[in-house]
Amino acid sequence: MTAKRILVVDNEPYIQEVAQICLEMVAGWQVSTASSGSECLIKAAAEQPDAILLDVMMPEMDGLTTYKELQANQATKHIPVIFLTAKVQPADRRRYAQLGMKDAIAKPFDPLQLASQVATTLGWN
Amino acid sequence: MRILVVEDDEFIANALDLVLSEQNYAVEIAADGESGWELVQAYEYDLILLDVMLPKLDGIELCRRVRSQGYKMPILLLTGRDSSHDKAIGLDAGADDYLVKPFDQEELFARVRALLRRGNTSVSPVLEWGELRLDPSSCEVTYSGRSLQLTPKEYALLELFLRNNRRVFSCSAILDRVWSFDKTPGEEAVRTQIKGLRQKLKAVGAPADLIETVYGIGYRLKLPSVNKLTLPSSEEPSEQTRQQTLTALAGVWERFQGRVNEQVTLLEQATTQILPAQLTVEQRHHAEQAAHTLAGSLGTFGFAAGSQLARKIERSLRAKKSMSQTETKHLRELVAALRRSIELTPPELTTPVTVKQELPQLLIFNSDRHLAEPLIAEAGVWGIQAEIATQLETARKAIALSPPQVVLLDLDGNTADSLALLVELKHRYPSLPVLVHSNQDNLMTRLEVARCGGHAFLPKPVPPAKVLQAVTQLLPKEATAAKVMVVDDDPQILATLRSLLEPWGLRTICIEDPRRFWETLEASAPDLLILDINMPHLSGLELCQIVRQDSHWCGLPILFLTAYSDANTVNQVFAVGADDFVSKPIVGPELVNRIMNRLDRIELLRNLAEIDSLTGVANRHKSTQDLERLLNLAKRHHQPFCLAVLDIDRFKLVNDTCGHAVGDTVLRQLGQWLLHSLRREDIVARWGGEEFVCGLYGMTSQDGVQRLTDISIGWQQQQSTHPQCNIPITFSVGIVHYPQHGADLESLYRAADKALYRAKKNGRGRVVAFKETGSSDQLSVASD
Repeated sequence: MTAKRILVVDNEPYIQEVAQICLEMVAGWQVSTASSGSECLIKAAAEQPDAILLDVMMPEMDGLTTYKELQANQATKHIPVIFLTAKVQPADRRRYAQLGMKDAIAKPFDPLQLASQVATTLGWN
Repeated sequence: MRILVVEDDEFIANALDLVLSEQNYAVEIAADGESGWELVQAYEYDLILLDVMLPKLDGIELCRRVRSQGYKMPILLLTGRDSSHDKAIGLDAGADDYLVKPFDQEELFARVRALLRRGNTSVSPVLEWGELRLDPSSCEVTYSGRSLQLTPKEYALLELFLRNNRRVFSCSAILDRVWSFDKTPGEEAVRTQIKGLRQKLKAVGAPADLIETVYGIGYRLKLPSVNKLTLPSSEEPSEQTRQQTLTALAGVWERFQGRVNEQVTLLEQATTQILPAQLTVEQRHHAEQAAHTLAGSLGTFGFAAGSQLARKIERSLRAKKSMSQTETKHLRELVAALRRSIELTPPELTTPVTVKQELPQLLIFNSDRHLAEPLIAEAGVWGIQAEIATQLETARKAIALSPPQVVLLDLDGNTADSLALLVELKHRYPSLPVLVHSNQDNLMTRLEVARCGGHAFLPKPVPPAKVLQAVTQLLPKEATAAKVMVVDDDPQILATLRSLLEPWGLRTICIEDPRRFWETLEASAPDLLILDINMPHLSGLELCQIVRQDSHWCGLPILFLTAYSDANTVNQVFAVGADDFVSKPIVGPELVNRIMNRLDRIELLRNLAEIDSLTGVANRHKSTQDLERLLNLAKRHHQPFCLAVLDIDRFKLVNDTCGHAVGDTVLRQLGQWLLHSLRREDIVARWGGEEFVCGLYGMTSQDGVQRLTDISIGWQQQQSTHPQCNIPITFSVGIVHYPQHGADLESLYRAADKALYRAKKNGRGRVVAFKETGSSDQLSVASD
């Protein structure tokens, strides 16, 4: 089984790095990062990752807008997206689900559990 | 992990399916005992959750059937009845644990985890390490599916590493375990075998350093490269991965601490230098953004409190454009608290998580924190990690989160709360020992505590050391980790030794004051002692003499740690009976190596003295002690105790027709069959020739007959499928129980022997309980 490739999108460099460490060390996945919604759109199309972890609150283009753009593009439409968010209210979850989002993972996440949360959400077991 | 749920109540079955699936277990449901049995035969399960009242075949019957067919997966009984009798029947039928309905979800998960842990060590048919796979039943070894042809020594070496995959083995430890006694070669032989093994591993594509050299200590398995592992989400990351990840996170924290500081500073400026009301839209937005980021990240670094504070700050910044003075003040306090929280060292990332988790946990419930603090300090000395809860609610949460091994309950603060907690614990965690500590030392209080389910009562005042002694006695006994006790007046040395030894799975008990030596020794029963020479009040030499004088402790290995290495000191040390001598400063690998060798040697000698080498069950000498112990226990608690004497039928014929090698195999198989079929706490021993003795605590001879008949049927079925030789091999059993058939081991044995002869006389292959029928018991021996 080849290692999964994940794109982590967050404007905060240390959160990018933390997520990268957690996914690479614990699950052995390959992680690339993007600092903004627009960078995410470019990298997602070019790298075709197996999943995208997307921060919701970002300056300029927020997570929801980024998601809609990803969905609008044939090249990125199929890539599953998980929201990484400090706000997970039931109402948010419903809204994400309506949008076709896989799920949301709450921040702060447990560094040792992040990989398994992602795997569970995407049914990679 | 695959779990079979046998439950006829659809609602409960679905609920179990749901909650267990959420925990990432693969769950299958059977609605009655018969279909449960079909599934057990058809698929492999790691655990069975079994309802007792079931249509077609009830849970107890199913349990017996599963065990009689040799399936060894753990079984957890779910029962609506909670009488001790019902539980005993269930456990005797072969269940490993039970849970009374309605049960608590947390507890269910914890018990399932505990059973799966246990199951792994005892069952684990195939040993795996990354791509490497060793199947002990067929002696096959493969790496990524490619087969390896190994010599018997190489195979034994690999098996040793795989079975103890976290340990480093020195050459001498390998010699002890892999070579037989009469043929122990030099350490060079080990190096040659390792070299050969490495080459063969390399040839099939394994990394050359899969067996790693640990400089100055020995060899061990190297962790498979993480990139090759696709982690199933139900598994926890390995300890090494945890450590690596946490260390890497600590690195990120260090590099980005400046950035985090900036964000907090931004919040400080926004809330202290300028009034929130005067912030520009942009300033407010930046502050919100900073708080949001901190809320989302600090917890990941181990600052859970920091995350919560940041979230509160974010919320109040967003909610209120204009704030009252009180609100402003509150906001400033939150920011100040946030600042303080990140200035602490992140707890999760710097303390060695491994060590903390392996220490036994004690929860102290006391409404007065000050009173409990000396106990916390004392607990550290005893190698126990203690935590205080002052409120009922915190205690509940703490226990649900990570159940401790012992609870110490102070009765004198809020007595009502304490008693409420006691009752709750008794109900929800019946096996969790609770020690009640109180200055109300009167009959009524003791009675109240006993009624509420307290396990032990300790009247005050008692020095903290005595409290911890009592706690230690309540700790579950199966803690197999070797214990090392260190006496040194220098706390620095104690801390160093602890951090050196605990990662090796050695429990370390440290004492600074040698006057407390004896009580600590007796309470903690260490496997090895490390002494400093010069200490106030009592020198290490004197302590050593005291130990050597005592008939019980004289065999305890003692290692001296000293700054002196002159000939005179060395002489003195050995003259008082030391086993080894290490000079300070401590060189980590050397000390660990010496200690591990010493402990290996003791374990080996102990096994030699206690285990029958042919069958792997206890020998007569060792089992006699254990049987006496159980018999005493039965006397004290007015319990029955069943003794069974077994004998293979026509064993001489087996040896004569098929050869002694087959005879030996039969003995070994029967020994292992008994060991696996009986309960963990039962005694199985070979008393010589083809005779085996089993001791079953808490059982009458009737129960024993039932049990041994099941075992005998299982054995015969197994024998017919794996013929060792063309003679069907059966055994006869004579059964008695205390107190009815004898008051001591010898008279019980004699009676059981008589019953055994009757079994033989009546046609062999049967289980017979002793009956007092006058002279007929004196009948002559059937000639076998």
